Amino acid sequence: MTPRYSAPRDLAGVTAALADGDGVVVGGGTMVVPDMTHGRTSAAVVVDLSRAGLAGVTAGEDGAVVGAMTTYTDLITSDVPLLSTVASGITGGPQIRNRGTAGGSACYANPASDVPACLVALGARMRLASAGGAREVPAAEFFLGGFRTARRPDEVLEAFVVPPLGGAALGYLKFKLAEGSWPIVTAATFAPTGGPLRIVVGGAAATPVAVDVDRPSVGSDDPAWREHVREAVHTALDAAEPWTDVLAPAAYRRRIAPVIAARSAGRALEEDR
Amino acid sequence: MTAMRLTVNGVQREIDVDPRTLLVHAIREQVGLTGTHVGCLTGDCGACTVVLDGRTAKSCSVLALSADGSAVDTVESLADGDDLHPVQQAFWDEFAFQCGFCLPGMLLTAKELLESTPDPDDAQVLAALNGNLCRCTGYNTIVSAVRKASGCATTCVKESPCRKS
Amino acid sequence: MAAPTLPDSAIGGSARKRDGAALLTGRARFVDDHQPDGALHAHVVRSTVAHGRILSIDTAAAEAVPGVVLVLTGKRAAESAGPVPYFIDPAARGGNRTDIRCLQVDEVVFVGQPVAAVVAATRQQAQEAAALVAVEYEVLPHVLDAEEALLPDAPRLYPDWPGNVVMHNRYGTGDTDAALAAADVVVSGELRIGRSTTSPIEPRGYLASWNAAEGKLTVHASCQNPHQMRWMLATSLGLDEGDIRIVTAKVGGSFGLKMQGHPEETLVALLSILTGSPVKWIEDRRETLMAGARQQVHRFTVGATADGRITALVNNIVADVGALTAQAGWAMPNMSATTLPSGYLVPDCRIELDIVVTNKPPVNAARGFGKDAAHFVMERAVDVVARELGLDPAEVRRRNFIPADRFPYRTSTGLNIDSGDFVGLLDKVCDTVDYAGIRRRQAELRPLGRYLGIGLGFELTPESSDSPGTFVSGFDTTTVRMSVTGMVTVLTGVTSPGGGNDTGIAQIVATEMGVPIEWVELVQGDTDRCPNGFGNFSGRSMVVGGGSATLAARDVRDKLALLGSRMLAVPVDRVEVADGVVRVVDDHERALAVPDVARALLTRAFAIADGIEPVLESTRAYKPGNIDHVPDQFGRIQPYPTYSSSLHAVVVDVDVETGKVVLLDYVMAHDCGTMINPALVEGQARGAVAMGLGSALSEQLVFGEDGALLSDRFKTYLLPRAGDVPELRMVHQVTPSPFTMHGNKGAGEAGVGGAQAAVANAVEDALAPFGVAVRGVPLTPPVVLGLIDEAAAR
Repeated sequence: MTPRYSAPRDLAGVTAALADGDGVVVGGGTMVVPDMTHGRTSAAVVVDLSRAGLAGVTAGEDGAVVGAMTTYTDLITSDVPLLSTVASGITGGPQIRNRGTAGGSACYANPASDVPACLVALGARMRLASAGGAREVPAAEFFLGGFRTARRPDEVLEAFVVPPLGGAALGYLKFKLAEGSWPIVTAATFAPTGGPLRIVVGGAAATPVAVDVDRPSVGSDDPAWREHVREAVHTALDAAEPWTDVLAPAAYRRRIAPVIAARSAGRALEEDR
Repeated sequence: MTAMRLTVNGVQREIDVDPRTLLVHAIREQVGLTGTHVGCLTGDCGACTVVLDGRTAKSCSVLALSADGSAVDTVESLADGDDLHPVQQAFWDEFAFQCGFCLPGMLLTAKELLESTPDPDDAQVLAALNGNLCRCTGYNTIVSAVRKASGCATTCVKESPCRKS
Repeated sequence: MAAPTLPDSAIGGSARKRDGAALLTGRARFVDDHQPDGALHAHVVRSTVAHGRILSIDTAAAEAVPGVVLVLTGKRAAESAGPVPYFIDPAARGGNRTDIRCLQVDEVVFVGQPVAAVVAATRQQAQEAAALVAVEYEVLPHVLDAEEALLPDAPRLYPDWPGNVVMHNRYGTGDTDAALAAADVVVSGELRIGRSTTSPIEPRGYLASWNAAEGKLTVHASCQNPHQMRWMLATSLGLDEGDIRIVTAKVGGSFGLKMQGHPEETLVALLSILTGSPVKWIEDRRETLMAGARQQVHRFTVGATADGRITALVNNIVADVGALTAQAGWAMPNMSATTLPSGYLVPDCRIELDIVVTNKPPVNAARGFGKDAAHFVMERAVDVVARELGLDPAEVRRRNFIPADRFPYRTSTGLNIDSGDFVGLLDKVCDTVDYAGIRRRQAELRPLGRYLGIGLGFELTPESSDSPGTFVSGFDTTTVRMSVTGMVTVLTGVTSPGGGNDTGIAQIVATEMGVPIEWVELVQGDTDRCPNGFGNFSGRSMVVGGGSATLAARDVRDKLALLGSRMLAVPVDRVEVADGVVRVVDDHERALAVPDVARALLTRAFAIADGIEPVLESTRAYKPGNIDHVPDQFGRIQPYPTYSSSLHAVVVDVDVETGKVVLLDYVMAHDCGTMINPALVEGQARGAVAMGLGSALSEQLVFGEDGALLSDRFKTYLLPRAGDVPELRMVHQVTPSPFTMHGNKGAGEAGVGGAQAAVANAVEDALAPFGVAVRGVPLTPPVVLGLIDEAAAR
């Protein structure tokens, strides 16, 4: 069946096109378009966001507002914390970073991807819009499972809001099997001045897993502290829904997640010095 | 079918496409420029790379209609008649291709890199090429070619005195 | 007239690829770039079950889709097309066979096997309609593992076979039992080589155009072997070979995958005949990734003396070739067996081989052609011996290599190695990689928790094979033709899917004829224009394509010299053809332009050229030496004229917390005899090494329990990317072959097995403090971490 194609000129047009709940939203297209080509996604209407004016980062009262159509390349030159550096390491080369969007990746919600854990670590809020109105969902509540989010079929992600860092340091690390693979495990560490660390692990479970750990009393290379971090991550993963894909089984992800988490925390603390 | 406009390599074209038609198929089949290749249709191999409104894109992951009104430059735009672009010249001189199927992506990505980073280090070259697969060369000569073209690009991209006459 | 000859264009020079401008500017035309008016598009409907009986196929819904012209089922296809003939028929080698059909008629034996085809006006319509073809199966039990397939109660793929074994073979001479009993040490191990694939960036594709009025079929194909394909289509479709033209001009990489024998070749041609229109089918990447390249289990036992001399090798091989194919892939494991014991003096060998079918897609021919597995196994065995005896692995290799003065040397399995200097390669590689320095660095870093390892891998690559009674041919044919203007057209039976043998052959012809390379045009991959030949495989193109081009070029040159000498009024032994002129040897001022001589021959045939046959053209076949198909007292034949060799060293850094292997340095010392074009040789070698590194570290085809391929895109089947491959440093050694025209030995296959072996040995070396024993490839991070855990648990 040939779908209808709609490229609304504004957000209202987008939400109107999605109102029936049988639309597929195309942002940068880097994931959805191949899915359509191979018959893995289909819908009555293809809603193309490229003309809806949703690109760009603006400074809002409560943080940076990142429009849904802001590409990774846009983010690289932005001052959005963490995402500006994460964007440059997105798999797929500059061509993908030129088209792909952090908002799109969040909505796609592949557990084995960079963006979800970053958004949770940053305490981002997801702005969803529908014909019935708008709402904000904290990133921590947005990701419901592998490829599942809180976005309803009649909603579009308009933007996400990254609150000010308040002097917090950040560390990010991802582990891939090879350059071309999706991330197997990612870890984003949020280190507020003087406070405990929040490490958010991606890829190790179906949704990002947040762990709070105390700062090390000696240094981040203190074996006892590293062990403390690892145990905290292990404990948190025990309670999470495991994730397996073709590249790596859940057991391997769970096995290396504490290692990646501890390294990411080490990076954040290094940056904090 | 829906009518749309594309400016391809500076020439305005009007074509008819289905909503599902991919930009790569529109370029190859409707516009008739076959230098842009199809290798995977999943956005992974990079053989379908074009420059879309000034930035490289994998044209298998772009709906043709999304590009309505856009400017597209393909690998065919690089050379000026028989005069090769310095990046093309470097690829030839350095044996940076064998079968040549990946070339559209390699060349256009390398060119974009050198325009933003005239003298890239190896890490920058590797990061830029990571969206392009080559199964023939093992990449070493491709990296050499980009570095060689950068030496040329920093001094002479604009005037192109390196172009072979 | 073109520019004068550049030194790079001579034999031994690195002339740039002659098709460079066309490829760089996007003008080159690959199969999908041919878009004839009215061409229809085909989509193949594939089995969704790993083993089953086709109960019914309902095509009504598909036929109702707008634009659909034809929906073809296996039953209907069988009315118009016979079985696809084998490239190498197992029955001819005493094995089991089955009829290979372009579409299955009754049974399917793997997920993805073609069962129907849809032809429609557009690709989209064909794809949409294909999804509506409803196939009902009676599902039968399936088996995905070769060792399980050998069990007596395993499901049978082909009911008329006694089991799931295509063939069982035994290789080697000597008394291994006695040698093992007498050995000071006996070590054994099990090695599993994972299923990888070649996956060129251009998928397979065919465009068939049936001209009903003339009864002629033209097929543009992404294929390595146009003449064999013509024969195959003539056979399966019942056409006269003369009515078929195959064109394979530009091919976007092949690596064995595009050797002919695939069902879609006959299928697309048949679809064109049935619809009366040009029909194109271009493979989707998911289909390309189904094709296996290798999957084998080796159990080896090696005996050695206390000073590290290997005296006996026993190796039992179980090769999982998936379902049987008419393509050459199923036969590759034979070469794993015969290539053992590689370049080592091992007098007593016993190799037992079972080639086994399973309910997976077929293994297709792949760069390395099974020889890669022999190197992986032998190089692991040498390292295991070294570890057992506490000797350095480099030293054990040195003690066991066939010495350079022993060639030609016949191995226990029957190969007659023409020449080489393997110790020379070892010295070169150890110097270049700084073997001793790496060992010191390794010792320094271990206490700091960094685990460096260095691994060696030797590779002996039999090249340019000939298999009697098949189209694996050890010779080829070339026509060299000079026009009245002096321009040279070379028509050759070998093809170039990317490696650049067209450039190498042009260098040979230009050098032999004494004309600038710019005068030389190459024509390959067109059965209507080129003489009968066999295409590209087994590192043969420069050996036999280059050899035959040499003979033909010399014929034409000799005729130019003869007439030129008359025109210059000197004896023929006083003239030479060089730099585009016929000239007096000791008086270069007295010279005639080659075009003037050519014109004289063709316009003064009854005058100054009287008595010289006025044809500036020669077609010659070249058969290299050293091939011997008369079985010796042990029944061994010798199918290869020449043997390239290489030694690989890799330095790795293993992250013991994640299992990730990082490549720090790579050196390949390579000896392919005379290099016609060193830059192209290096290109071939680096490409093969990169492919080997991929299969050693990241590439793996993964199937679900239902037999469906799960690693079906480049995000899950991980080809190396630029950032994965270190600088691959090349060192050359030239030991010319006495049995080939220019002493060249073939390049292109060497690298896969050497890289796999070197990486595996390096990983084990790095993890020696943990007592890790490597058991196979790929060594993905989960596998490596598993090995560390397992060693810790012991």
